[in-house]
Amino acid sequence: MVTKTEERELKQLENQVENGGGGVWEYLSLVRKLKVRRSEIVLKHGLSILNDSGKRSALGPDEWILYEQVAIAAMDCQSLAVAQNCIKVLQKKFPESKRVGKLEALLIEAKGMWEEAEKAYSILLEDNPLDQVIHKRKVAMAKAQGKPSLAIEHLNKYLEVFMADHDAWRELAEIYVSLQMYKQAAFCYEELILSQPTLPLYHLAYADVLYTIGGLENLIAARKYYAATIDLTGGKCTRALLGICLCGSAISQLSRGRNKEDKDMAAQELESLAATALEKEYKQKSPAKLNLLSSALRSLKLS
Amino acid sequence: MAEDLVLDTAIRDWVLIPLSVVMVLIGVLRYFVSKLMRSSPSPDAKIVKEGQVVIRARNLKAGANFIPPKSFRARRFYFSNEENGLLHVPKDQAQNPQAQMFSDPNMAMDMMKKNLSMIIPQTLTFAWVNFFFSGFVAAKIPFPLTQRFRSMLQNGIDLSTVDVSYVSSRSWYFLNLFGLRGLFSLILGDENAIDDTQRMMQMGGFGFDATKSLGAEKDGLDIIQHEWALPGFEHRAESVLRKLVQ
Repeated sequence: MVTKTEERELKQLENQVENGGGGVWEYLSLVRKLKVRRSEIVLKHGLSILNDSGKRSALGPDEWILYEQVAIAAMDCQSLAVAQNCIKVLQKKFPESKRVGKLEALLIEAKGMWEEAEKAYSILLEDNPLDQVIHKRKVAMAKAQGKPSLAIEHLNKYLEVFMADHDAWRELAEIYVSLQMYKQAAFCYEELILSQPTLPLYHLAYADVLYTIGGLENLIAARKYYAATIDLTGGKCTRALLGICLCGSAISQLSRGRNKEDKDMAAQELESLAATALEKEYKQKSPAKLNLLSSALRSLKLS
Repeated sequence: MAEDLVLDTAIRDWVLIPLSVVMVLIGVLRYFVSKLMRSSPSPDAKIVKEGQVVIRARNLKAGANFIPPKSFRARRFYFSNEENGLLHVPKDQAQNPQAQMFSDPNMAMDMMKKNLSMIIPQTLTFAWVNFFFSGFVAAKIPFPLTQRFRSMLQNGIDLSTVDVSYVSSRSWYFLNLFGLRGLFSLILGDENAIDDTQRMMQMGGFGFDATKSLGAEKDGLDIIQHEWALPGFEHRAESVLRKLVQ
């Protein structure tokens, strides 16, 4: 995760670079360090450095790193010719290199030749069966080909070994949600919450999944997690506020015949507070839709 | 006797400073040689998996109160299950790390290399110091010492009446041995500031001892009482919203 200061620095450098100021190399190095995806800008400015032989030689041994970075950015922007050129240069300099081999396989994948790419990745994996990047590329390929079950299989195998990789858990959760396998998605989100309990995003996603699965117990839990999200975001998350209202109405629907438990008392206050906060926010940000919101809330409370 | 010996400044110029310079240079040399000789460790899949299992178990411990009790119990069972739990290492499989060390040729080679790269320069420097710089008083320690240190610090000096604060160059060598870490961190960057004390500790320790850490994590997990923190969040959210709405 990128911290706030780093993000600010990144934006600042980006503005500087885009508006013709210097600092291109610092920007590229920061992008590389933070592993963010800014392929268009990287491609444009990286290429301008590489094409200018004066600036290129000024980089010294870092020039090869820049070639690699520009190659990947080019593939992301589908400028495959540029990528091919960069990789050729790297191949000449570093023949028989595993890192360049990875780039070649990436290029094959970018061209859409799935079987060859699959073969290339398997060969690379034989040499180095513990390479995380290659495993993830296989998952990405399966996803791009529209085979989510295959992607799930690959991801599960990957996670059996590398079970502390929270990006992989997140990807798996999203694939499960897209396939409507909500119980499994809930498990993945629990893993994410365990690894980073202060991140409201995961609480929100988990609450969404629980609400979708339904059932009284899950709804009560979902409301708790929406509350956690509100707490962690200082009340600014609209989705969580709406979630609380929806949960409240769903719970009251389900438990209509049964005895109301005491915790509902606390919850009712929460619901009304959430509704008020929502109305306030809508008044500020989009007053045109305020009527819509008020009528929706009223119907929720009545049901 | 508390008389003050006057030490020749030539001693400082020709003993203390060259000795320090030589030790710094040897440290730098050793760093580069170790970089060259370091064979890239081919990580074993089993070891990587165990490392990741430990991280995941730690996350479970840390975040246990954030997930519903049922999930927590399911996960704890998964980890510490007697039959095939991830953290459970049956007694007979718990390998003696030493036996493992010697049976694995790569690791044995690595240990040898590390040890050698440390022992040889130390021995050579020590022999050099003893040969060239013995038999005279090299420096005066600014604080008084008891008589017990005499044998350690005044090795070449055969007069028993000299104050123990006056030491031979061997003690200056030892001082440098333990103290140059700060200098190395400046020169070589903070990560490489391993001086000889730490190397000696590394010599004694062994590689990643999986069985012990797994067992420790399992015990840690078994101890935990799950207390679901989420209900508390509802109240906190209420207060947050109340403040917001006002």
